[in-house]
Amino acid sequence: MTEKSSMTEVAAAAEGDWITLLKDNGRTGGFGAPTVPSPTKARWQLRLSSPVRSSPALREATLYVTAQRGQLYALKTKDGRQEWKFEAGGKINSTPSLSGRNVLFGCDNGKVYAVNGDNGAKVWEATTDGEVWASAVVRQGMVFVGSGDGHLYALDAENGKRRWKSESLGGRVYSTAYAAEKAIYVGSGNGTVYCFERENGKILWKVATGDGIDSSPALVGDTLLIGSQDFFVYALDANNGAVRWKYETGLGVAAAPAVSGDAVVIGSKDGQLYTLELATGKLRWKIRAGEAITGPAVFGASTIYLQSWGLQALAADTGKTVWRAGLGMGVQNAPVIAGGSIYLASLDGEVYALE
Amino acid sequence: MGMDRRTFVKRTCTGSAGLMLAGVPVLGTEQVVMPQPPPIDVHEAPLAKKSALGMPGLYPGRVVELADARAIAGNRVSQPVVHEMLERGLKELTGETSPAAAFAKFVEPKDVVGIKINPSGAPACCSSPELVREIIEGVRSAGVPVRNIVVYDRFGYEIDLGSYQTLMPPGIEIFGVQDGLLDASGYDANVYCDMNFFGEWETRSYMASIVATRLDKIINVPTLKDHSASGVTGCLKNVAYGSFNNVARSHKEPYSFTNPLIGVMCTVEPLRSKVVLNIMDGMRMVWHGGPLTQNQDFIAQTGVLMMSTDPVAMDTIELEAIEKKRREKGAPSVWEHNPKSITADSREFYTDASKNLFYRQPGHIAAAGKLGLGVSDLKQIDHRKLQAS
Repeated sequence: MTEKSSMTEVAAAAEGDWITLLKDNGRTGGFGAPTVPSPTKARWQLRLSSPVRSSPALREATLYVTAQRGQLYALKTKDGRQEWKFEAGGKINSTPSLSGRNVLFGCDNGKVYAVNGDNGAKVWEATTDGEVWASAVVRQGMVFVGSGDGHLYALDAENGKRRWKSESLGGRVYSTAYAAEKAIYVGSGNGTVYCFERENGKILWKVATGDGIDSSPALVGDTLLIGSQDFFVYALDANNGAVRWKYETGLGVAAAPAVSGDAVVIGSKDGQLYTLELATGKLRWKIRAGEAITGPAVFGASTIYLQSWGLQALAADTGKTVWRAGLGMGVQNAPVIAGGSIYLASLDGEVYALE
Repeated sequence: MGMDRRTFVKRTCTGSAGLMLAGVPVLGTEQVVMPQPPPIDVHEAPLAKKSALGMPGLYPGRVVELADARAIAGNRVSQPVVHEMLERGLKELTGETSPAAAFAKFVEPKDVVGIKINPSGAPACCSSPELVREIIEGVRSAGVPVRNIVVYDRFGYEIDLGSYQTLMPPGIEIFGVQDGLLDASGYDANVYCDMNFFGEWETRSYMASIVATRLDKIINVPTLKDHSASGVTGCLKNVAYGSFNNVARSHKEPYSFTNPLIGVMCTVEPLRSKVVLNIMDGMRMVWHGGPLTQNQDFIAQTGVLMMSTDPVAMDTIELEAIEKKRREKGAPSVWEHNPKSITADSREFYTDASKNLFYRQPGHIAAAGKLGLGVSDLKQIDHRKLQAS
């Protein structure tokens, strides 16, 4: 069950693409993305007719943005002009994921949509019995996504047909799953972390935390990292769920961890951004980076980017502020770093390309 | 539901200074005289048949308070202890022998029940998910199906910050009236209060459609919290400013017209008739910096739960509790109107308990009493304090 790297999935996309939450299915948080110097201007700025609660995805020269009032937008990275727009049948809070030429996302009407990324035509839709806020994760031809109905679903990436549906997980599944080669990991609103057999959805192990989970897990080697509303960040043995270490923050942890080398970066609702040592959970540094941090940090080569009540860049080794921009209000939003630009969408409905 | 009958009334009440004279020392030399509030035009939609359950409800003047140190430890709320407290408190409030029977006093299986949380101030201080989950179980025990229970507030992003979507059981609808700060699509164009406080261009505040039309009953779950403009944000403010839009305009530094607006809004039908029970979450008490502070220095872990059908009586008790805590901490009374305490610097307000952004107006509680929403005279309040079991 050891996950050596996520290179298989990363390789499926072009180098600069940003195919899902935290860049790739390895949830690396964009590690390796070149550091972008303090932006001096917005190359373009676009106001959508809807707030955006999610993070954009990027492929080649197109930025995909899901808007809360039910639209998926395809925007040209060059100038922000709209290529096409897809109207879903409900609100969208799910960060889009890219699979081949398709864009996948969940919707409050219980559906998971696959839309052709080139022209906005619907390719398939799959149905769950609850709202879908999590992102769809694609690996080896299968799509994994949690639903507010309390189940994790595995779908065929080609046609959306259901491969399996997990047993009830006791709470809503807002956590975006991590898909490893043979196992799928996800957290549930009832506070339990689950590991499923990839092929059939059989539960291999589960471990309870002290409160609900909306954080999305990351896997590094055989260590699974995830936050919980019980204030702790957990490092679990991915083979059996044993707790290797846990680190206590001051409030609940809704953010997803981002990993770079031997460092784990994660924000807490106590407003602190923490960098922990991957092997031990020892605190390397923490810094107050906002009133409450609920969105994931993005890990550039030497810089950490965080979109909370504004966008900020912090030095990865010390946490010191490198620059700050007073735009980009977000709860679960995170920026995309690519081609020397920073793309972000915000709760006030603005989409920016900064450089 | 009576939505075909619209009424218009001009509603106001005694100005703030007059109300204050009944409950606090006469204005001192360093106190300023507040401007008088304008009249408020109310356009409402009364229920066809007035509900006996509406504010002040079945037990006017009765407030049950429980405190249990086990209820919160290390800033974590214990759901099992909250369960015990809720059960004991509701039995005491209603005289019933089971929580299911107690909830059945307020809701029926056919009702669509709204649980009005207060996520403003999340994540540091908001309606505890542990308590909300217990209330959901209580409502279900009275026969209300999961699909008819809605946990709601005005702002979706504040609900999001509190992670309520994740933390509530599957099947419960979590609803934010607005998905943006200026979104007006979730409001009823026919039910509103109209008043002009400071020359604002939009003088109407509309009632949320979910309150005006969709919900049958509302269980109000405010927090125990200081408020920079209104003195406290308790039962009255949680349902008033949590049901109408465009309300922040009632206070413009340093003046506040939260009194009388809060009380007047609570009288507007059908809101008044639908609020049947108030369960105040005092697991934490924000004694300064409300409603949005995240500064733990101003948040006490008090482990308190209060229950009442009378929002005025409960807010009166809440006000006393916050005043007591502020005295203990050496902070000025929320009634103080001393210009030296006013600051325009929000950073100063959030770090210094002697400073405030507005001249607070806690007189809205007594004003609401005058409007018939409940009992504000402490001597007439049946305050039942239960010790930890």
